[in-house]
Amino acid sequence: MNFHPRTLEHTQSDLDHVIPNESELTAGTLIEPGKSYGFFTDTTVCIGCKACEVACKEWNNLPADNLGMTGQSFDNTGALSANTWRHVAFVEKKGGCGVRADIETPYQSGWLMMSDVCKHCHNAPCLEACPTGALFKTEFDTVVVQQDICNGCGYCVPACPFGVVDLSANDGKAHKCTLCYDRLKGGLEPACAKSCPTDSIQFGELEILQARAQERVEHLHQRGVTDAYLYGTPGAPGSTGGLGHLNAFFLLTDRPEVYNLPVAPTRPANRVKPSLISGLAAVAGLALAATIVLASQERR
Amino acid sequence: MNFPVSSQDDAGQALQKYSEWDGSTYYGRAQLKSAPFENLVVGGYIFLAGLSGSAAILAALADLAGGKSAASLVRRGRYLGLLAPVIGSALLVYDLHTPKRFYNMLRVAKSTSPMSIGTWILVSFSASVGLSAAAQAASDFWPQQRWSGWTARVFGVPAAIAGMGMSTYTASLLAATSTPLWAAAPQALAVRFGASSMAAAASALSLGEPSDGIRPKLDAITGVALATEAVAAMVLHEAYGKMGVRDALDSPSGRLEKAGATQLGVVLPLGLLAVSALAGRHRRGGLSGLAALAVLAGSAMLRVSVMGAGDVSAERPDVSFRFTQPRNMPRR
Repeated sequence: MNFHPRTLEHTQSDLDHVIPNESELTAGTLIEPGKSYGFFTDTTVCIGCKACEVACKEWNNLPADNLGMTGQSFDNTGALSANTWRHVAFVEKKGGCGVRADIETPYQSGWLMMSDVCKHCHNAPCLEACPTGALFKTEFDTVVVQQDICNGCGYCVPACPFGVVDLSANDGKAHKCTLCYDRLKGGLEPACAKSCPTDSIQFGELEILQARAQERVEHLHQRGVTDAYLYGTPGAPGSTGGLGHLNAFFLLTDRPEVYNLPVAPTRPANRVKPSLISGLAAVAGLALAATIVLASQERR
Repeated sequence: MNFPVSSQDDAGQALQKYSEWDGSTYYGRAQLKSAPFENLVVGGYIFLAGLSGSAAILAALADLAGGKSAASLVRRGRYLGLLAPVIGSALLVYDLHTPKRFYNMLRVAKSTSPMSIGTWILVSFSASVGLSAAAQAASDFWPQQRWSGWTARVFGVPAAIAGMGMSTYTASLLAATSTPLWAAAPQALAVRFGASSMAAAASALSLGEPSDGIRPKLDAITGVALATEAVAAMVLHEAYGKMGVRDALDSPSGRLEKAGATQLGVVLPLGLLAVSALAGRHRRGGLSGLAALAVLAGSAMLRVSVMGAGDVSAERPDVSFRFTQPRNMPRR
C-alpha cells in the first residue's frame, strides 16, 4: 500500500482543521491556479455504487429528485440535471432475444457502468452561449455558473452537446457540476473523486490524467480488452467539431451511444457566422428588390 | 469496435472507418435537454422581431425611394417597428426564469452568443426605431414644423440597419445550439426566417395601405419574399433529410410547419397574389388582403413550429444520435 509521507502527520480522525493541500494526500496532486484540472473516469473499474452521486449531493447541498423507480436497471437517477451533477449509468448488455449475454469476457463486458458528469469542455458551448457572462472559466480551467449573475434565460441548456446543464425550478437559475470549485480553492479533491472506492473517478492535472489514461488503454488492450478506448481526449470521439478536449473524459468499452454520449458532437458557436451572414445577405437582397419595386413607375 | 486515438483534424474521418451506429440508445432516454423556452412566447417574439425589423427596413426604403405617395407607408412602417421594442422585449423578459435580473444581459457583449448579439441588436433597434417613431408622431400631431420629419428620416436609417439584424438573427439564435433540428442547416434557416420577416412586414403594411398605386408594389415585395422563403424551405427540408433529423417533423409541431407555415403561409398567398395580379387592378383588394392575413399567420406559425419541432429533435435520442454521427461533421 503506498501513501504520501505527509499522511503520517495527520493520524487523528477528529481533525479540527482542513489538512493543508489535502489533495496531495488523497489524489496525489497539488491544486494550483493557472493549471488545467479534470476528471478521468475509467468505466472498466466502476462498480455502480453511486458513492459519487451521494458525495456530490452531500457536499453541494443538492435537493433530492427522482424518488421513484425507473425500471431501467439500477439507474433510478435517470440523467444529469440541475439537482444531480453525477449520474451513474447502468447498461445490461443483451445477448440474443433480449436476454442478457451469458458468455462473459473480462472487465464488465456484459454489465457496463459509467459515472457521467459535466465534461468541462475546452470550448464550452454553454459558456459561449451565456449572454450574461454568468458562465466562466475558472483559474483551474473548469466551467462554472455564477449564481449571483445567472438570470435564467436558459440558453445554455440547448447549447450543451451532452445535455448536462439544466435550469432549476426552485430558483430559476442554471446549475451544473462546478468540479467542486469551492473545494479546489481550499486544496481539496472534488467530492465525487475522493469518495470513489475503486478510483474509477480520478482527479488531477489534465495532462497527467491523459497520459495515465492512455497507459491504461494500452494495458487493457494487452490484457485482451481490445474494445477499450478514450472518449474526450484530443482527437478522440467526443472532442470533435471544434469542441477541443474535454476536461472530464472517459475510458469506454462500447460505442458512446450505449452510454448516452454522442460520437461526434460539434461546437455551436461555429454556426453563428454562417447563419448571420447568409441571413443578412438574404434580407439585403430582398431590400434591394424592394427598393427597385418601390422606385418603379406606378402602373396606371 | 475500437476507436483510434488520432489528431483532432481527422477524428471524424477516422471514426467513419469503424462500426456504424446500430440504433442503440440508453433506454430511449433523451441524450440532450430541450430548450426551456416557452414556444409561444419566444416564437411570438421571433415573429414580432422579424415583422418590426423588416417594417423599419421598408419604411426607410419607401422614405428614400418611394416618393410622395408612399407617405402613409413610411408612417405606418415606423409605427409597426415599435412592436418588437414594446411587446417583444416584454415577452423576452417574461420568458426569463429570473426576470428581475434581465439587465444582466447588458453586462457583456459576446460574438459567440447570438443571444448576446441579439440583445445589442434589439437595444440599438429599439433606440433608433423609437426615436424615429416619436419624431413621426410629432410630425403627425404638429405638421407645420419641419424638424420632426427630418429627425424621423435620420433615425430611420440606423433603424433599418438594425432591422436587418432583427429580421434574421433569431435563426442564428436557434442554429447556434446543439438542438439537432435547429443546428442542421444554419444558412437555410436564416434565409427562411429573413424572407418570412420581409413577407410579413410587406403584408402587414399592405393591409392598411390607402394608395392603390403602392399596394401592388407591396404585394410584389411580398411575392418575391415568399418565393425566396419557398426555395429556402425546400433547401432546409433537403438538409433535414441529409442530416438525419427529419423524423422530428413527424410531430404536431412538424405538421404545423407543413400545413401552417408552408401551405397556409407561403403556397396559398403566392397563389392568391398570382391570381390577384392576373385579375388586374379591379377586385384585387380582397385577394391581396386575404393573402396578407395568411402570410402573417404563416410567419408566426413558422417560428412557433420550428421551436416545437426542435424540442422534439432534442428529446428523441435516435434523432440526436443520427445527427452527431461522424459523417455529419463540418468539412474543413
